[in-house]
Amino acid sequence: MEERLYDLIFICRPATPEEEIKKIITALEHTCAEKGGKIEKVEQWGTRKLAYRVAKHREGMYVYFQIKTTHGELISELERRLRVQDAVIKYLTIRLDEDLKRQQKLTRRRDKRAGRRSRRQAAAGEHAAAAS
Amino acid sequence: MPDEQNPQPQSGGGAPPRREGGGGGRREGGPGGGPGGPRRGKRQYFRKKKVCKFCVEKIDFIDYKRPELLAPFVQDKGKILPRRMTGTCSRHQRWLGVAIKRARNIALMPFATAADPTPVQRPH
Repeated sequence: MEERLYDLIFICRPATPEEEIKKIITALEHTCAEKGGKIEKVEQWGTRKLAYRVAKHREGMYVYFQIKTTHGELISELERRLRVQDAVIKYLTIRLDEDLKRQQKLTRRRDKRAGRRSRRQAAAGEHAAAAS
Repeated sequence: MPDEQNPQPQSGGGAPPRREGGGGGRREGGPGGGPGGPRRGKRQYFRKKKVCKFCVEKIDFIDYKRPELLAPFVQDKGKILPRRMTGTCSRHQRWLGVAIKRARNIALMPFATAADPTPVQRPH
């Protein structure tokens, strides 16, 4: 099965102590390791203002994961774990690999076209030089 | 013969200046009454041609994780602006919509709400 790339973001209550967030992160890392997922990135964005109220909070601490896995069950397991955490007020998983594939395709195409155009301009320049 | 049938445009020295004056007055009245702007030749309104920001900057992937990039494409309330306002091309508008909706789901951007989220005051 092909490998898929996911973004996983969750928001903790603003009053959550640092250790607890660390604990959640390590727990998720463990789960990932067990199920054969690979963590590409972990970022803590710190406390940010929420665009709307979530669980009566106006701010939240964001944690961002990027996970590569072939097992889709890993994602449901991670989500289940986040759901039971009291500190976590919101989470979101997004599959990214298809968007990135599309991006690569477009970038490649643009590069190719740019290359062709510059070559054509060079050729036109030579023609003009030969004619004169 | 034609001169005699239509005396107003050609003959009658007093008539053409009056007409010009009247026309000028009307032309001046137009921009004064409506929204002004630089008049260029015949065009009343000159509008800058809008181009797709994402095409110009060669962005193939609109990142939902950076709401500050998406902010110019929504109203203060959080509504997604139509293409005719922002000039985004159809392809990028589609992706932009997806990105904004993702950002909304993780509270990075508002759903359509009041611009300033002040607590609702209930009448007692």
